[in-house]
Amino acid sequence: MSSQLPIEIKALARIIGELDYYQLLHLERDATANQVREAFYEGSRAFHPDANRQLDPETLADCNAVSKRMTEGYCVLRNPRKRRAYDVKLAEEGGVRLQLAEAKAAERSGDNDERRAKTPQGRQFQDKAADALRQSDWATARNHLQMALTFEPKNAFIKEQLAEIAEKIEAEWKAAR
Amino acid sequence: MAVNAVGIDLGTSNSCVAVARDGKVTVLRNAHGETTTASVVAYGEDGSVLVGNAAKANIIHDPLHTVSSTKRLIGRYFFSAEVGRAQAICSYEITEGPNHDVRLRVRNQEHSLPEVSAMVLAEMKRIAEDQLGEPVTQAVITVPAYFNDNQRQATKDAGTIAGLEALRILNEPTAAALAYGFGRGLEQTVAVYDLGGGTFDISVLRIGKDIFEVLSTCGDTFLGGDDFDDRIIDLLADEFVEQEGINLRTDPFALQKLKTEAERAKMSLSEDEETRVYIRDIVTGTDGEPRSIDRMLTRSDLSSLIMDLIMRTLKVCDEALQQADMTVRNLDGVILVGGPTRLPVVRQAVKDYFQQEPQADVDPDEVVAMGAAIHAAALTDSTQDSILLDITPHDLRIGVAGGLADVVIERNTPLPIEQTRSFTTFKDFQESVRIRVYQGEEVRGEDNEMLGEFEFSGFEKEKRGEVSIAVTFEINADGIVNVTAADSKSGQRASTRITFSSGLSDSELDNIVQQDPTARVRADAEPPPPGVASALPDPTDDLAGPAESPTGPAESSTGPVADNELELGPRVSQNSEEDLFASDLSDFGSGDDDLSLMGDDELLSLVVNDDLGSGDDNCETRILEEEAQPTHVQGLDAAAGDPSGGEDSTKTRSDSSEIPVDDLFDTPDQQLTVGDEDGSDEPLTE
Repeated sequence: MSSQLPIEIKALARIIGELDYYQLLHLERDATANQVREAFYEGSRAFHPDANRQLDPETLADCNAVSKRMTEGYCVLRNPRKRRAYDVKLAEEGGVRLQLAEAKAAERSGDNDERRAKTPQGRQFQDKAADALRQSDWATARNHLQMALTFEPKNAFIKEQLAEIAEKIEAEWKAAR
Repeated sequence: MAVNAVGIDLGTSNSCVAVARDGKVTVLRNAHGETTTASVVAYGEDGSVLVGNAAKANIIHDPLHTVSSTKRLIGRYFFSAEVGRAQAICSYEITEGPNHDVRLRVRNQEHSLPEVSAMVLAEMKRIAEDQLGEPVTQAVITVPAYFNDNQRQATKDAGTIAGLEALRILNEPTAAALAYGFGRGLEQTVAVYDLGGGTFDISVLRIGKDIFEVLSTCGDTFLGGDDFDDRIIDLLADEFVEQEGINLRTDPFALQKLKTEAERAKMSLSEDEETRVYIRDIVTGTDGEPRSIDRMLTRSDLSSLIMDLIMRTLKVCDEALQQADMTVRNLDGVILVGGPTRLPVVRQAVKDYFQQEPQADVDPDEVVAMGAAIHAAALTDSTQDSILLDITPHDLRIGVAGGLADVVIERNTPLPIEQTRSFTTFKDFQESVRIRVYQGEEVRGEDNEMLGEFEFSGFEKEKRGEVSIAVTFEINADGIVNVTAADSKSGQRASTRITFSSGLSDSELDNIVQQDPTARVRADAEPPPPGVASALPDPTDDLAGPAESPTGPAESSTGPVADNELELGPRVSQNSEEDLFASDLSDFGSGDDDLSLMGDDELLSLVVNDDLGSGDDNCETRILEEEAQPTHVQGLDAAAGDPSGGEDSTKTRSDSSEIPVDDLFDTPDQQLTVGDEDGSDEPLTE
């Protein structure tokens, strides 16, 4: 995606208000955290103002606008809870942007959420599991959730999720037979 | 293209300059062959200035006129706690400047902090020019990651005074990571533990082939190697009081001898298990007999003296890892930066904390300048295409009702970023709102660093809650903050580039640049002029290396200048944004007193109204300077107590001069409804 033509930059800047973060970053709705990061890197290679210093001021301003929106999208999509809040907003056709302060509030409301892991390690495995679930990779999700549970033995939600996954794996297994 | 953009690590204790060319990074050596130069400035009796290691050697003889560790003070308000602490331990006089900034009073002259730092930068510039044989006009200058915008701006101003365009103010740990990853094709997540002379930073970064992403950064701008020295000084001074009944702290000469010896002892404990602390005849007793200090200091003495400080750094590490959503197990490497990290006790603590051996192939004194040089090359050389994705180290906040400050852009958010929040009026027919921008992590506005403020008016007067003002905050890739307010109905806009901050107004800065105080710097290899010969030691006594600068004395000095040359006239107001900020901010910090300036007791507020339509998305991205200027100037004039002042009258102006200016701040009993994420500002619209 690197070395964009000014005309492409201008065109993208013009329609930026209509693109959701997934469209802006060329991501599928079920993209994993790694894919989100890679897409942001790719976007930065093309649109980060430092990579476009040679452009005329007007095009550079457009470039900056695109870059800023990509950063915003990255901030929302890389964080599972902010992303969830954003997905809800998109589904309700509430606009293509989620201001970070709103996203933060959505995230904070999750702090009291009994379902969320409390330890950093637990959260990490929970997030990995969420990625795997998004891809319907039940076996991987189960592994991650089991790891999360070792750090969060009291988390009932993880246990519930594990039970659900066990059912799904069984169902798939039966279907395969 | 031959590029002479250098990287400068402007350190609390020592500075270092490097250049990156043709894929190679070189640390440039001073006239004595050293890669680091002391960030010390000595003001001679004849008006000449000495910078560097010779100036440092001068401290013992002339502590009152030798200025060191000024990085701790740059860009700070005079009333800040940090300045108070520095006052207690500095032998030079610290006074308050016209903009609540800090000035140093040396030889009956006031020096702003940017001027003092400019002396050091000018020395680094000269070292680079001597080594490269070409003029150097551009630099990437590093600062602690945890520096706020004011401190960064002051550093930038210092560059301007020294004749250096600051291409970028780069965070030190980021620079270290750039140097570490340079040309190695790594894919790693690393932590940079940067313990300098006066500041501590920890950053977590992801290093890729062409992308460097900063994930989080945290720090403490008043914790560093100087504090270790202070602990040793305290130990020695306390013992001396006990044994001799004499307080060495009240004697600037004795205190300076203590400082020098404490620093030496600390450094030698990096190599040796124990060291002898010996200061002969440090002071004369009441009986007229000289007294000395003589004791052994061991590594374990030192570690018990400073362990709590080291623990403080590890707590900051916790925070940084948490912000990056990581644990130590996610880290592929730990990079140590800064002289104090040479101490075995620090290394061991860091190793235990991160559960891995720190990287050994990085020179903690040079790595930051090298990284800065790499970034300078990346920003000037079109063949380089690595990208640095930096973050903002502090929350950016807006002042809202009740004296509170609401987060708009959270710390550790990647840059560039732009956020828009919608606010509404608090009172019926409110005329204007004041927008105050803060940086910091505190809930109360006044507990944060004030970056600037402006008044927004000209929107149609409506019942409260019916006006919708969109305030857009932008932090660009440079880390520079822009704030724009817009009223969608009238199309009225006001914007400000938040740049008052360094303590110097634009006109003052221009003045200083014209006078070029750095021209008075003598090369430290040059013999001192007769006037100061008695005070200054021969540099060759203390320092190895050639006694003469390779370029010779003629090139490097313009000779002594009269004392009054630096005296600044009264500040001339040029109606620049910065000036107006300056006049406005001169009342900042006096609590609620500044409200009285408004000449009005009708206190009003902004209320957050978060349900931004997606249609608003694009309207704030462009700042209309031409339109904004008059409104803006008017607003600030009014804020400065002169509602009819200012010559840039507009139709919005005449409007607001009839009615007293309202303020954004609320009376304490009025309840605030800010940050309702359901977008409800209902209680206030009724």
